[in-house]
Amino acid sequence: MANLQVNLCGVTLKNPVITASGTFGFGREYHELYDIGTLGGVSTKGLTLEPRLGNPTPRIAESRGVILNAVGLQNPGVEHFIECDLAWLKSTGTAVIANVAGKTLDDYKNICEKLDGLVDMVELNISCPNVKSGGMAFGIKPETVEEVTRYAKSGLKKTPLMVKLSPNVESIAANAQAAERGGADCVSLINTLTGMAIDIERRRPIIANNTGGVSGAGVKPIAVRMVYEASQAVKIPVVGMGGITCAEDAIEFLMAGATAVQVGTANFTDPLACPKIIKGLHDWCDRHGVQNVSELTGTLQLNGK
Amino acid sequence: MRDYQAKIVENKEIAKGICSITFDLGEEAVVRCGQFGDILVGGTHLLRRPIAICKVEGRLVTFCYQVKGEGTQKLQKAEAGSTLSVLMPLGNGFFVEKEEKKVALVGGGVGVFPLISVLREYKAEKQISAYIGYRNAAAVCGVEEFKKADKFVGVTDDGSYGEKMNAVQAFEADLKNGNRPDVVLACGPTPMLRALKALVEREGLTCYVSLEERMGCGIGACLVCVCNLTNGEHARVCKDGPVFNAKEVVL
Ligand SMILES: Cc1cc2nc3c(=O)[nH]c(=O)nc-3n(C[C@H](O)[C@H](O)[C@H](O)COP(=O)(O)OP(=O)(O)OC[C@H]3O[C@@H](n4cnc5c(N)ncnc54)[C@H](O)[C@@H]3O)c2cc1C
Ligand SMILES: Cc1cc2nc3c(=O)[nH]c(=O)nc-3n(C[C@H](O)[C@H](O)[C@H](O)COP(=O)(O)O)c2cc1C
Ligand code: FES
Repeated sequence: MANLQVNLCGVTLKNPVITASGTFGFGREYHELYDIGTLGGVSTKGLTLEPRLGNPTPRIAESRGVILNAVGLQNPGVEHFIECDLAWLKSTGTAVIANVAGKTLDDYKNICEKLDGLVDMVELNISCPNVKSGGMAFGIKPETVEEVTRYAKSGLKKTPLMVKLSPNVESIAANAQAAERGGADCVSLINTLTGMAIDIERRRPIIANNTGGVSGAGVKPIAVRMVYEASQAVKIPVVGMGGITCAEDAIEFLMAGATAVQVGTANFTDPLACPKIIKGLHDWCDRHGVQNVSELTGTLQLNGK
Repeated sequence: MRDYQAKIVENKEIAKGICSITFDLGEEAVVRCGQFGDILVGGTHLLRRPIAICKVEGRLVTFCYQVKGEGTQKLQKAEAGSTLSVLMPLGNGFFVEKEEKKVALVGGGVGVFPLISVLREYKAEKQISAYIGYRNAAAVCGVEEFKKADKFVGVTDDGSYGEKMNAVQAFEADLKNGNRPDVVLACGPTPMLRALKALVEREGLTCYVSLEERMGCGIGACLVCVCNLTNGEHARVCKDGPVFNAKEVVL
């Protein structure tokens, strides 16, 4: 059997498959279906300093090959997570990645200070399209990406920082570099693309928030291209996501330059998607004589070169 | 809860625009009435369709669904012998306390199907009255089941079957005749549940309602399907519900 272990800026993951923030809660529900300790990592629901109730419903819509969501960062707050979920999640044996969001630069720093040393990694959500203040605002321009990364990093003495990039930007390469300059230990991408779906009978958007973040199988080519561009632009590792449904999809991202991948929407379609992807990675590597999955990272060769 | 690769035994229209699909799960599942399954129709549809479990007989489980959008249209075309992924059982389901002897079922639209599962589960031990509203005579279904209740009142919006009224009005009329239940279990469109909530509050009756909300994961992880509670908090319809005490939810 191939070795699926990967090293993500000093953190050893059992395999490169991480569940994407917001689709997996804190893992408890999926643990009723399979042992989530077999996952490379779990990125938690986006945590904020104070509990948040999120947006009105409907929060989700479907469009062929993709979904749209606008949950609006409903979460019990970072302290509740630390008290009630963290110990359990760690005990499963998976790597714990705390996804965090804030309204102000200080929020990002404070929340990082609270999590420093307690989790395996902090993932900075600077790109949530579904909350009005903050979130997305930081994720758009390279200057603010760098600034918020620096603030967050100043709150982390022990835990590495992953900065999650928005695809709704002018240059993904420039923003990845900005995160690197700000002190990010790695970057993850893509967050959702902003979209809209309309109920033509009611002549209204389906989602209460009007717009929602687009994710799922249909966004994969966009995500692969962006992961390629980001990984070409920076020296720090890249974590790829967007539409991954099977092991072959994950391998595309690895070849494009990702060290690890995240899987989100596919968990909704098939709650066992992640264990199936891990098994599929083993099978693919064995069939192709790949001994270490990490050998695949960045092996893409462009046509004409 | 399991993701069953369930084999379709039968899939047929039982009333206008309403189908019944029966799966062989390959094993017996322990299901409580009012729980639901999340059915993957596949292809470009990334989200599963939540449908109430209507009937369980050994390894066979039956769902009844209204053909609405692309997903349920696709479901209607699924042929006997083929398999679909069915994640089930999900949600809390209905529960009747020991001391609650007289049970009223109030249902409208697709909300009648989970009530069939209640009737099947509690028929032997409880005295059950069912007040069921349909759009019109062509949409009437499940009557063979509801007739097994101690009392069945079927009504339609246009009077083409039974009296011309809705399920809540039928229930209220019987209440005025002195037929007072210990507990009311209801499922149906939100306006119907809202009217019922107002009625049971006036009458001081205990009432449980089964809610519908668009879902992502269906198992409680994504917080897509929340409803508002009267205490200001949110609850997940898929995991904390779909059944809630009427006085605890904002409709
Ligand atoms: C707990 C629960 C139990 C249900 N039980 C039944 C039942 O027994 N029989 C039945 O006919 N219907 C039932 N419904 C409603 C059923 O889920 C929808 O009618 C169905 O999902 C519509 O799918 P579609 O592809 O035809 O529609 P589309 O409009 O194409 O669906 C698009 C998306 O919206 C979702 N959606 C649309 N309408 C609803 C709705 N009313 N509730 C939740 N999600 C919706 C779909 O699941 C899908 O993700 C239930 C819903 C819930 C939440
Ligand atoms: C319902 C839902 C909720 C999400 N919540 C968050 C969140 O809280 N924080 C975050 O950084 N990303 C969130 N995301 C984005 C995902 O983590 C991921 O970036 C995106 O869905 C693309 O991957 P996918 O196509 O595999 O789903 C959410 C996505 C979905 C579908
Ligand atoms: S659908 Fe995910 S929490 Fe209910």
